[in-house]
Amino acid sequence: MAAEAAPCLSIGFVGNPNCGKTTLFNAYTGANLKVANWPGVTVEKKEGRFQSHDHEYRLVDLPGAYSLTSYTMEEQVTRQFILSDEVDVILDVADASALERNLYLTLQLIELGKPVILALNMMDIVEKRGMEIDTHRLPEMLGIPVIPVSARRKTGLDILMHAAAHHKGKGEAMPLIHHHHSSESLSPLQDTSSTRHRHQHHKEFAMVYSDAVEDKIDLLIEELEKRYPQLPNPRWHALKLLENDPEITKAYPVDRPDILDRSYEADIINQKYDFIAEVIDEVLVNKERKAALTDKADALLTHQVWGLPIFLLIMALVFFFTFTVGDWLKGYFQLGLDFFSGAVLSGLEFLQVAPPLVSLLVDGIIAGVGGILTFLPNIVILFLALAFLEDSGYMARVAYIMDGVMGKLGLSGRSFIPMVLGFGCTVPAIMASRALESKRDRYKTMLITPFMSCSARLPIYVLFSQLFFSQYAMLAAYSMYLLGLVVAVLCALVMHLLDRSPDKAEHLTGSALLIEMPEYKAPSAHTIFIYVWEKVKDYLTKAGTTIFVASILMWFLLNFGPGGYTHDMSQTFGSLLGQGIVPFFAPIGLGFWQIVVALIAGISAKEVVVSSCAVLFSVSNVNAPAGMAALSQALGAIGFGPLNAYALMTFSLLYVPCAATLATIRKETDSWAWTGLTALFQIAVAWGVTFLVYNIGMSIL
Amino acid sequence: MTLQQGAPGLPYIVQSFDLPLGLARRLQSLGMTPGSQVRILRKKNQGAMVVKFRGSRFALGRAISSHITVKEVARHGS
Repeated sequence: MAAEAAPCLSIGFVGNPNCGKTTLFNAYTGANLKVANWPGVTVEKKEGRFQSHDHEYRLVDLPGAYSLTSYTMEEQVTRQFILSDEVDVILDVADASALERNLYLTLQLIELGKPVILALNMMDIVEKRGMEIDTHRLPEMLGIPVIPVSARRKTGLDILMHAAAHHKGKGEAMPLIHHHHSSESLSPLQDTSSTRHRHQHHKEFAMVYSDAVEDKIDLLIEELEKRYPQLPNPRWHALKLLENDPEITKAYPVDRPDILDRSYEADIINQKYDFIAEVIDEVLVNKERKAALTDKADALLTHQVWGLPIFLLIMALVFFFTFTVGDWLKGYFQLGLDFFSGAVLSGLEFLQVAPPLVSLLVDGIIAGVGGILTFLPNIVILFLALAFLEDSGYMARVAYIMDGVMGKLGLSGRSFIPMVLGFGCTVPAIMASRALESKRDRYKTMLITPFMSCSARLPIYVLFSQLFFSQYAMLAAYSMYLLGLVVAVLCALVMHLLDRSPDKAEHLTGSALLIEMPEYKAPSAHTIFIYVWEKVKDYLTKAGTTIFVASILMWFLLNFGPGGYTHDMSQTFGSLLGQGIVPFFAPIGLGFWQIVVALIAGISAKEVVVSSCAVLFSVSNVNAPAGMAALSQALGAIGFGPLNAYALMTFSLLYVPCAATLATIRKETDSWAWTGLTALFQIAVAWGVTFLVYNIGMSIL
Repeated sequence: MTLQQGAPGLPYIVQSFDLPLGLARRLQSLGMTPGSQVRILRKKNQGAMVVKFRGSRFALGRAISSHITVKEVARHGS
């Protein structure tokens, strides 16, 4: 690591979900992120570095949280990270247009006793709605610096970092000015001017509770200081004990049932919101806002009757763009690849490189990796569309719209979000299932999400449907998406009907959907760019690593046999291996050793099925007309017809998800047994469905 | 009455929860505490509803809304 002139300042970005935290984070760090997992859990951790005015900043994007209780994985991660010594300053990002909800987290952060800075995001929206926030009064009431910013327009960013650098090491050092002596105080709880309590806390803490609670806090602090003299911030720990927080209660037992006679959680929450109401009343000017646009949009988009058709129409549009516009762009990629492949071939021949090496480079690496790269346009467009749906706030509506349908499958509408994301990539989709309320729902969703056709399977459909179904190619590809959805739904339904476990009763009355419906917003171009760029980077990395290695391995298996390097493919290791497993695949129309080898290789990543075919049949550019003709001819020669192609597409859609997905399932469930079971289940379903498709097809044709 | 029985467009006061402890605590930490006000924005016949409390909208499934006891707000043109 480079020598650092000034000590590096660690800033943790904290905020509610949908507060624009990630947009703000991206505005500082750009696409230079280090994405890792939090140790022990698989919540994504994003880290970036940023320099300004000789200060070096280490920015950490923490998972979105509504509060710092420990009920969800996201909240636990956020809380543990803040409590660790890793963070110097907490940057609390608040959506200024929903200040009431956002301030709740702010109050909890302040109570943690670390330096907190409040970034009021989305001030542009506040102004647009004809509201104003008194940014002088707000810091007086909270005792922390408040900086208005707009992550979208990139205003206020420098001032915010400047404030963070200068606020380091200051706990609650700012003056607190409350007017609690005023006779028209909102609630009697807040009116502590004539307090019986022995301390006057209003000069010390932003959040002061009722006398009853403050008395208990004092008693608990005494007790805590006696038992745990090293404990920092006993006030916060006392509050957590009063809230009956499972983690703190276990770690710092005080054994004083006389003080902790019941959970004071509801009191503490209510009093916080009472104080927030007081703050809002003082700082929010012109509260009579115009009817928010969101309500008007929701009247249509979440309409009882029209909501579902509109959603289906949107998804149809997404796939239309993915295939038509993507295919049009793809043409240019193919021209480039053809040219490159030809140039390399003639260059190598000119240099008189040994034939096996030429074969490895041209038939192995360029055919395998290059062939996959030509599908990039389709994939970019698909992720662009998904990013748009996520960033606009529509995804939460999808959960509401689909809740009824999913309820019949014993799942909540929220399970549908991972399924939609599964159209993009199964790995983040599986991670998204983490947000589900119940463990049963999570496991079920993880089991069926891989059936949703991800972008890695798209090259298989595009290639084989264009090869064998000419003018119906689009229809054949679309049918795969539909088939995947139908299989996922049927599996969920069967599981629901077979489910006899006792907690099913809880679910019988309907779904336990709980999700915030954020305000709609125009998606930020920068956020979408970074989202798509990350996916493209993943795809390119995969092409450069997994597919690269798989292509070389395939080439080796198909050019070497027990007798060494050979041109007779039937004498190679690949052939011998494939032929051993052919009987398993014969009943479903896939009894060709070449296809078997490609499918096995496809477990590393599903695109490998295509790149393997390219290597298998030595076609340098599978996705171009000439390459397709060659492949079609090669396949025709072994008796592989349209029905076999459809069977191959079906099996590829449904069989074991890729290695990355399996690894994710393993991490999320923390169980090898469950992961193995998932893989077996998916092979069984794939075999069964393909068997049906093939045999029904045989009887019709 | 339960929240599920409420009518769209009207505000209600939350009274109690008959939910698994974890879920009840989560709702409370989101600000839906006993005594707080909830307004039903829209609702499907038998299913989920959209409610607004503490200034933000949430979609609630039937299994949750039918286990929250509420009472009507004495109306004076809020």
